[in-house]
Amino acid sequence: MKQLLKVDGLHLRFGGLQVLNDLSLTVREGQIVGLIGPNGAGKTSCFNCLTGIYQPQGGRVYFDGRDVSHLPTHRRARRGMARTWQNLGVIDSLTVTENVMLAQHQRAGYSALAGMLGLAGTWHRERELRRDAAEIIEYFGLDGVADERAGELPYGVRKTCDMAMALATDPRLLMLDEPASGLSPEEALGLSTTLRELRDRLRLTILMIEHHVPLVAEVCDYVYVLNFGELLTEGEPEAIQRHPEVIAAYLGGTAESPAEPEAADDDTVQFASEPPEWPLMAEGKSNGTA
Amino acid sequence: MATATMTFGRIKVARRFGLALRVAVVLALLVLAALPLLLGGDVWAQRISRAAIYAIIGLSINTLTGHAGQISLGHQAFVGIGAFAAAFMASRLGAPLGFGLAAGALAGMATAAIVGMVALRVTGLYLALVTLAFGLTAETTIFNWREFTGGGAGAFAPRPALVSSDHAFALLCLGVLALVLYADWRLVSTKAGRALAAVRNDERIASTLGINVTGYKLAAFSLSGLAAGLAGGLFAHWNQVVQAMDFEFQVALVWVLMTVVGGLRSRLGVILASAFFALLPLTLPNFLAGLPWQPPFLNEAVYHVLPPFIVVVMLLIVLRFFPGGLGQLLRPATRWLTKGGDR
Repeated sequence: MKQLLKVDGLHLRFGGLQVLNDLSLTVREGQIVGLIGPNGAGKTSCFNCLTGIYQPQGGRVYFDGRDVSHLPTHRRARRGMARTWQNLGVIDSLTVTENVMLAQHQRAGYSALAGMLGLAGTWHRERELRRDAAEIIEYFGLDGVADERAGELPYGVRKTCDMAMALATDPRLLMLDEPASGLSPEEALGLSTTLRELRDRLRLTILMIEHHVPLVAEVCDYVYVLNFGELLTEGEPEAIQRHPEVIAAYLGGTAESPAEPEAADDDTVQFASEPPEWPLMAEGKSNGTA
Repeated sequence: MATATMTFGRIKVARRFGLALRVAVVLALLVLAALPLLLGGDVWAQRISRAAIYAIIGLSINTLTGHAGQISLGHQAFVGIGAFAAAFMASRLGAPLGFGLAAGALAGMATAAIVGMVALRVTGLYLALVTLAFGLTAETTIFNWREFTGGGAGAFAPRPALVSSDHAFALLCLGVLALVLYADWRLVSTKAGRALAAVRNDERIASTLGINVTGYKLAAFSLSGLAAGLAGGLFAHWNQVVQAMDFEFQVALVWVLMTVVGGLRSRLGVILASAFFALLPLTLPNFLAGLPWQPPFLNEAVYHVLPPFIVVVMLLIVLRFFPGGLGQLLRPATRWLTKGGDR
């Protein structure tokens, strides 16, 4: 399978704080790849580097075989990199429909000036965009709230709206920042069906940050584990769950003698939705880059 | 919901009747608004021109502040440069009115684009300060550039024969206002409006949706400057002479405040508030001075400084009680007029 996203040796520093240290990862076309790690491991910072919101001090990002490291965020988005946000990427003052149509910006098919002058084609395109938006909205079951302002909707609905917006950009790579947070365990598992369907029907590639390990184990083809801004390990989800360093990073203790995994009845870890705060387990840190 | 109600004949009739009623109300309001122009003589024609020019300025500030979430306290520079450019074209080059107005609009746009480039680096309070400083600097430099502005005597901007009468000129101003309104309506109804809403709310989200935040901010400044310069050109021909003192900081402040009082992103509110503040200095002092009883210590000179105070008081009332401005107050009525109140 073709490499869609390749990250090569990312270094990100904020002042004296090393947020990402020599991070490399690869996402192949059609894969669903998980990015996991304790709080503060640098997962969201990694997303921000990939989308160009942060400018890393070192390293390259290749998308679809081309170096996008120096492209501004909106040009990366136009190449097909879409993302959702941990604290939601919806515009509260717009309705759900308007938000989805906002996300269709890059494929509106007319210039901003033409729209402002009210040229003939733009009216037609607006109607088409609205129809497309309605389809996406219906797919996500948001039709009941299509004309409500996003800011007035409950968290879960806005989260769905965020996902609908990411899809409306017509992406090739969907980057999801904790899609299951705030969802009930059943809803979270239901998400795996949605994600697979998106991949298979729309031929999307998905990279997701997630704490909810049952979901990661269920849906991901491959997992990268981040700790202290470094790659701890990578592999198939089953292997990752048994990996001693991962267990150590999540539950404390050292890699040599992992702490008793109370939550697990066999050797696999059932991470809590919010893993322990990182500084508590400083000894757990080790350089297990693959 | 709508499709379900359509099956009932009676409701269909009611909706159609509602539509007729709404159209009638709109027509009646338009006729009412046109009355001063039809019956009021030259004085009212002049006032209406001024109101229309202020409305264009209000919409210009609305583009920048309402749509893009940026602020300009130096709008007198954009309007003034537009006015001087139009006057220069008319009196020095003898160019036709259309060219003068276009030159004014382009001059305003170019100036605002330059300020906009600075605005890409600063936000909020600092942006307010930068634009304020720019406006004040323009007043003391460009507006005192004798060759361009005619110095203290001002620059003359005679009207061509076609719009030499006050009534014809008022129609011209209303026509330009209509164009600006149309552009604003299409702007917010298409992708640029949604993009600006995103830029205004969260630049990061906007950029990950493929929106060129820098480009849209610059475009908002340029558009705002374009409308401001256009209004300046109209102002030049309205007054037929332009002087630096027409564009002092105080008017820029009034323009920003009137736009907020009207209600950001409310076209109707901005137009009404702009018209009100355009006419207030013309009508209020005379009205008060003409009252049979005059309070002690007050005289016509005092009445002339009242309007800015009134702006400030109205701003405080708006900020305290209805932050959406006049537009918010009028929303139930406008919603009924545009959507039939069924949603």
